[in-house]
Amino acid sequence: MKHTKGRGRFIFFCLSPAIALFVIFLIIPTIDVFRMSLYKWGGYTDDKTFVGMQNFSKLFQSDKFYQAMQNSILLIVIVSIITFAFALLFASMLTREKLIGQNFYRVVFYIPNILSVVVISAIFSAIYDPNNGLLNAFLNLFQGAGSEPILWLGDQKIVIFSLAGAMIWQAIGYYMVMYMASMANIPESLYESADLEGASRTQQFFTITIPLIWTNIRTTLTFFIISTINMSFLFVTAMTGGGPDGATEVILNYMYKEAYTNSSYGYGMAIGVVVFLFSFALAAVLNAVTKREHLEF
Amino acid sequence: MKKIVGLVLTASLTLGLAGCGGGSNDSNSSSASGDSAGKSGDTRTIKFAALETAYGADVWKQVAASFEKLNPDVKVDLTIDKKIEDVIGPSMKSGEFPDIVHLAVGQPKGLTETFIKDNNLTDLTDVLSMTVPGESATVKEKLIPGFTDTTITNPYGDGKTYLMPTFYSPCGLFYNADLFAQKGWGVPKTWDEMWALGDKAKAEGIALFSYPTTGYFDAFFYALLNEVGGPEFFTKVMNYTEGIWQTPEANQALDLVVKLASYTEKTVPANGNKDNFTKNQQLILDNKALFMPNGTWVVGEMSKAPRAEGFKWGFTALPAITEGGDQYSYTFFEQMWIPAKAQNADLAKQFIAYLYSDEAASIFAQAGAVQPIKEMSSKLDGDNKLFYSIYDHGAKAAMGAFATTDPVEGVSISDAVFGTVDSLVTGAKTKEQWVEAITKASDALRPALKK
Repeated sequence: MKHTKGRGRFIFFCLSPAIALFVIFLIIPTIDVFRMSLYKWGGYTDDKTFVGMQNFSKLFQSDKFYQAMQNSILLIVIVSIITFAFALLFASMLTREKLIGQNFYRVVFYIPNILSVVVISAIFSAIYDPNNGLLNAFLNLFQGAGSEPILWLGDQKIVIFSLAGAMIWQAIGYYMVMYMASMANIPESLYESADLEGASRTQQFFTITIPLIWTNIRTTLTFFIISTINMSFLFVTAMTGGGPDGATEVILNYMYKEAYTNSSYGYGMAIGVVVFLFSFALAAVLNAVTKREHLEF
Repeated sequence: MKKIVGLVLTASLTLGLAGCGGGSNDSNSSSASGDSAGKSGDTRTIKFAALETAYGADVWKQVAASFEKLNPDVKVDLTIDKKIEDVIGPSMKSGEFPDIVHLAVGQPKGLTETFIKDNNLTDLTDVLSMTVPGESATVKEKLIPGFTDTTITNPYGDGKTYLMPTFYSPCGLFYNADLFAQKGWGVPKTWDEMWALGDKAKAEGIALFSYPTTGYFDAFFYALLNEVGGPEFFTKVMNYTEGIWQTPEANQALDLVVKLASYTEKTVPANGNKDNFTKNQQLILDNKALFMPNGTWVVGEMSKAPRAEGFKWGFTALPAITEGGDQYSYTFFEQMWIPAKAQNADLAKQFIAYLYSDEAASIFAQAGAVQPIKEMSSKLDGDNKLFYSIYDHGAKAAMGAFATTDPVEGVSISDAVFGTVDSLVTGAKTKEQWVEAITKASDALRPALKK
């Protein structure tokens, strides 16, 4: 009896510093965001007015909010799917195939992840430049130099996809390395026996590789959602500033604009709450639908 | 051997402890002496925060040094940064404010607007009647009349000045004077001449118009509104008067901008953001577009950019609506203000008054920063002489901006009025959609006007 009591106390003292930090730096700020979303507050005075759910009702009537939300969801979908496909493909090529310069590719693919978003934005702004850009110059090889330039960052129908292009380029390396790590753990014997039984490379990929790294894939799906929401803010801020005329406004961008530029800190926090709940819900849904029986090798 | 090692270790430990003790003693004594010096000398510190603009940070250091020379017991603590909002923002949130902030309204982060909306500023009306340190005139006597009667400096419309005007700059259309001379084109005096010129230039593969970002339409629009309806109409628009955007005057202004959008270089919206806007300015230097709306700072901003041979900056007010009508040029000026919770407001006011002295003005002028001080424009040379003499050549000055309101969530009048211009150029929105968006924003802001 005395023994277990002592042990309980020991565990308590070991855990308490971590729990204290967790509460102070994570729980309290999160609760604070929820609390602030119920106030009308400019951000710099003591003058806070409690307005209840008013911020939320205004939010759900705002066209700009829906536009920003649409852009964010579009980016989450496109960036996640394409990055996922390419990262998986490259990871499997680099682990399963005998390529010359494998390590070189591994490094090259990972480099965009080390670069800062500002640098990447500058690179892509140069690529997308309508007059001297790499992309238009390349297209001119086929169309002839006199053709009308495509405004990658100026045409409201294209600009969000241009942004997605930069984000995908940036993200592939990171996820590729994650997939490669778990693919390397799959025993070679499984592939050998599949080879003997006459399974093709594609069949091996879908019936051995994917099921065996499924836990890893599920984890990365949550990462996709969180990182796309966050990274899209950085990319938009550095590349287009939400323009032209709000065409690339994403949800965090809108939140920042309202909280700081429009002196509506409380309203900004209401947007923060919606983003919080949205990303949580989306991650939960994805987790639920991708649930499979756990396979072991 | 073991003993020796033990001895050495013990000795080093003892020494270490003694060292620590000595250190703490030292720091005690030094802090004590610091305190006594503070009391006897009574040095007071003004915390001054400013946005680093095209004029650079050095100019502030020089002015602060000369103020410190005049007031040996005052120290000016400068924080000059290109992202000043991010530097001073966090400490202000926790209640520590600079004594003076030099940051204009209209910045992307809108910090100054936030302070105005929150009634968080110190009344500076008494600064106007203060004598400029080292001189005999008062601040008001030195200032060009009109600068402290605007909706920007007196945001609450109660005749009290809360923001002091600092550097001003006439805004208008910039062009390559050499190109006009080469082609034998005259600078258009009316909008009809403007369109005729646009067609001529188009035939030579030059666009009529470019703009850095849609944010630059503020000065353009304010001047245009003055042209179509005069100052009274302008004031009504700035105060969100009901139905004002449905009047014939407003319609005329909107039509002009819609037409101008069709004459705009097509790539402009693609570069119309804060990272690429210089490419839109470059169009003028490369003779790919004729005019852009801008302020005098553009000359310094583009000073290192490549340019067409013989390039020479030209500057004009907006063309008039009709032959012989008024031509307007908007006067952009920066402001400084004292947060309501500043610790040294009285000293800060002294410093502000000093900034209008001849001594300070000449330091600023060397960096190209011109204050609204009487007869200042006659002391300038070079390009600046041309720019600042625009009002001597018949152009009228427009001042002011959209009136300050209590914050209205999700509504931005500048996004509605200026931001949409991008969509007019790309063809994504029509004039009707534009008017509807402006009217909606204007209607939403009217009840929130500061009383």
